[in-house]
Formats: sequence, structure tokens, C-alpha cells
Amino acid sequence: MLENLVNISKGELVSFAQEMFNTKHRFITTTCVDNKDGTNDLIYHFDKEKVIKNVKLTINREETIPSISGIYFCAILVENEMQELFGIKIKGIVVDYGGHLLLSDDELNSPMSNQITIIKKEGGQKNA
Amino acid sequence: MPRTIIPFGPQHPVLPEPIHLKLVMQDEEIIEAIPAIGYVHRGLEKLTETKDFNQNVFIVERICGICSFKHALAYCQGMENLMDVEVPDRAEFLRVIWAELHKLHSHLLWLGLLADAFGFESLFMQVWRDREKIMDIMEETAGSRVIISTNQIGGVKRDINEDGLKKVVKVVDELYIDIKNVEKVFLDDYTVKHRLVGVGVLSKEDAFALGTVGPMARASGINEDLRTLGYAAYGKLEIEPIFETDGDSYARTKVRIREVFQSISLVKQAIDKIPEGEINVKVKGNPKGEVISRVEQPRGEALYYMRGNGTKNLDRLRVRTPTFANIPALLKILPGSQLADVPILILTIDPCISCTER
Repeated sequence: MLENLVNISKGELVSFAQEMFNTKHRFITTTCVDNKDGTNDLIYHFDKEKVIKNVKLTINREETIPSISGIYFCAILVENEMQELFGIKIKGIVVDYGGHLLLSDDELNSPMSNQITIIKKEGGQKNA
Repeated sequence: MPRTIIPFGPQHPVLPEPIHLKLVMQDEEIIEAIPAIGYVHRGLEKLTETKDFNQNVFIVERICGICSFKHALAYCQGMENLMDVEVPDRAEFLRVIWAELHKLHSHLLWLGLLADAFGFESLFMQVWRDREKIMDIMEETAGSRVIISTNQIGGVKRDINEDGLKKVVKVVDELYIDIKNVEKVFLDDYTVKHRLVGVGVLSKEDAFALGTVGPMARASGINEDLRTLGYAAYGKLEIEPIFETDGDSYARTKVRIREVFQSISLVKQAIDKIPEGEINVKVKGNPKGEVISRVEQPRGEALYYMRGNGTKNLDRLRVRTPTFANIPALLKILPGSQLADVPILILTIDPCISCTER
């Protein structure tokens, strides 16, 4: 169980982030977890005087969430990363790389959300 | 005056890591900096989902060579919390000794790179020669110089005997004298000060707003060091965060040099207080539930999030490394600076891109 965990809805995200900023909480990062049932957990981690506060939001993969980078500029990297690796749709990222922060055009779409099967080749078999 | 865009990196003589910056310039002044990463992304977080939770120690150690021990420490501590494992005291002290040796070699590596960046080749070689003593002592105590791989869930794999501990003390005592000698050049030399003082100032307010961590934040007056949380054996040692208030490249250098002396003190304190006893315990069962583990790495706070489902495979392992948190601050200090200062400014955040991308 995560310490100091608060569950919020999508509509509360921006106002909650603003409250965190106003109360001098440092934004650490966001963790995105694929629940493998078409939903994702987004856990926003904040810190104040070394005490961590976790804010959890569960969304359907097709949903669009607002960016908090207008409040915490430092969220740009993690929001771009979530967009690329998990396919989370985020509206209003201050610097939006459009899917090219980490990945190139010929990369897999949302590689962290797709199950990748690794097939072990038979001994001595050459690559196809 | 027309603006030009100068591409900087990912391959550049002063860049230790592959980061690309598009520098929007007006004459010699930087107006904007746009970063691009993705050159060394290895998908390690995804890989951990396919491995046994014990094997993941091997993977997280390879997120970064420079702080590999601390990655393993963060992961093992998190799993130990999740699985209610009590680590023997001796193992906790051994973890501090190796963690501080890692911090020493990381800061010395950085000091050498900084000397190289401002053209002091002899100073660069002198600092790296001193760093070799730490690398050698790691090889002697752990069998490997960089990825020492001594952590395991439940403790550590290797012990250091009495003679080994005495040798470590001897080496860090020598290092103290060596670094005292070069400290004068880094902090008092006219040319060095000219390159560092007042260059790339990050205010305390900006450091907070941008989520800056580690020496970068402490140089801007943020008095925070996660080691004071007391994880491993830090709670039994005397430690005070080292901070400066000027927020410039000189302050960042000063913080790191003072942290070298702090790490030497912590290694000696840990050796002085290390108890006898077991170095690991057996771990039974599989992890279930969520946990967060945070440690102070040489570059600042690393956060590990882990979610277990009761099987040997984790559902998710998430790593937020310190450089990931410090890149926004780099984007803040570059605009308004001169092109000639870019190498110094990039170096003063002590970037580790292999950590950042994982």
C-alpha cells in the first residue's frame, strides 16, 4: 500500500496539482501502470520536506487527460514519455514532442502498453 | 538580428552522454534550448516485467554504470519493504560503505570532466588518477570496478573482512589529502572562477518549481538530502545536507567537492560502527502490492515504484532518475547564456542520459 495515497478523478487533476504547487509540494514524477484491462493507473508523486504524497487517477486508455505542465513545467518530459510509451492522450503539454521524444517513426506504437512476445530460437538457427 | 539554430550533440567532444540540444541563437547568446533524447533508450522497465523479481537486481544495476550500486539499493530496499524482509545490520552498513564509494567515484569523474571542459588537462588527469584508487578498492572488496553487483534482496552478497575495511580507511584518508590539494584549484583559481562564478544561475524558487534534485538543487539553497531519511545505516551516522545559496556553476562545483569530503567521512563512520553478524537473509514468497523506494544517488533523488501481483514477475517497475528531474533546470539556465558556456552548463547538471532513458 502506498503511503499518503489520495484517489482523484480526471476532472480534479489540474486543481489538485495547483493545490500541490500552492502548498509548496515538489513534483517528483508520474508513474503510469497498464492494468491490462483497458485502463491505466496514473500515480502522481509529490514531495514536501521529504514526505511523499501520491495521487492516483484511473483512466480508460481512450480518455484524454489534461496536462499539468502549465503548473509544473518539469512535467513535460514525463507527460511526453507517457504519451509515447503508453499511448496516453494528454492535452495541453507545454512542449509537446508529438511522439518523438524517445521514439522514431518506425518504432512500435506505445511499446509499454503492448505485450511483446519474445520467441527463443532453436540453437544454431540463423536469423531470418 | 536574425536567429540561427545550432545543433549541439549528441556526439560532441565535451559531452559525456548522448543528448542533443537545438540551440536557438542570436549572435552568441542563447535564446532557447530544445532537448532531444532517445539515443540510448533500452526499454529496461519493460524488460523487468519478463524477469524473475530476483533477476531484476541484475537489470537495474545496468541502468547506469556510475550509480549502479544505488539503483540496486533502491530496488532491493523497495522489495524488502514489500516482502517484510528485515535486513541484517551488517549488510546495512556494508551498503552505506559501497554506496558512498560509488558517490565518491561519481563526483570525482564529474570533477575530472569539468576540469577537461575548461581546459585544465593536468587537473583532469590528476582527479581521475585519484578516482582510480576508489575503483581499485571496489575491485578489491567486490571483485569488480564499476558494476560491483553486491546487493541482493535480503542483504548483500559479499562481506568485507577486517583487513579489507582497514584498507578502505587507508585509501579514503589518502584521497582526502589528494582532493584537499586539487580543491584549491577548483575553488580559488582565477581562470576557473571566471568560467564558473555567476554562470548559469538557478534561483531557489526556480529550482523548486522545476523539480530540481541533488547537488543541483542544494547549490540553489534547497537543503534536502534523502540520506537524512535514515535508510540503510544512514540513520546511525552523522549526516547534514551540504548546500550553497548562489545557484551558479561555482556553487554546484563547491557542493560536489564538499560532498566528496562528506562521503569520505561517512565511509569512515560506517567502518567505525559496523557490527559483526550475518550479511543476508533468505527471502521467501513472491512480492504482492505496491511500494515506493527512494534513495539519494550522486546526482540526486531516484524514485522506484514497484507493483507485484503475487507471482515471480512484477506488473510494473518504474524508475525516475535524477537527471530526468534536472533537465528542465538545464533548459532554464541555458537561455541568456553565451555559446561558449554551454559545455560547462550541461556538465554542471552532471547529466546521465543512460539513467534518464533507461
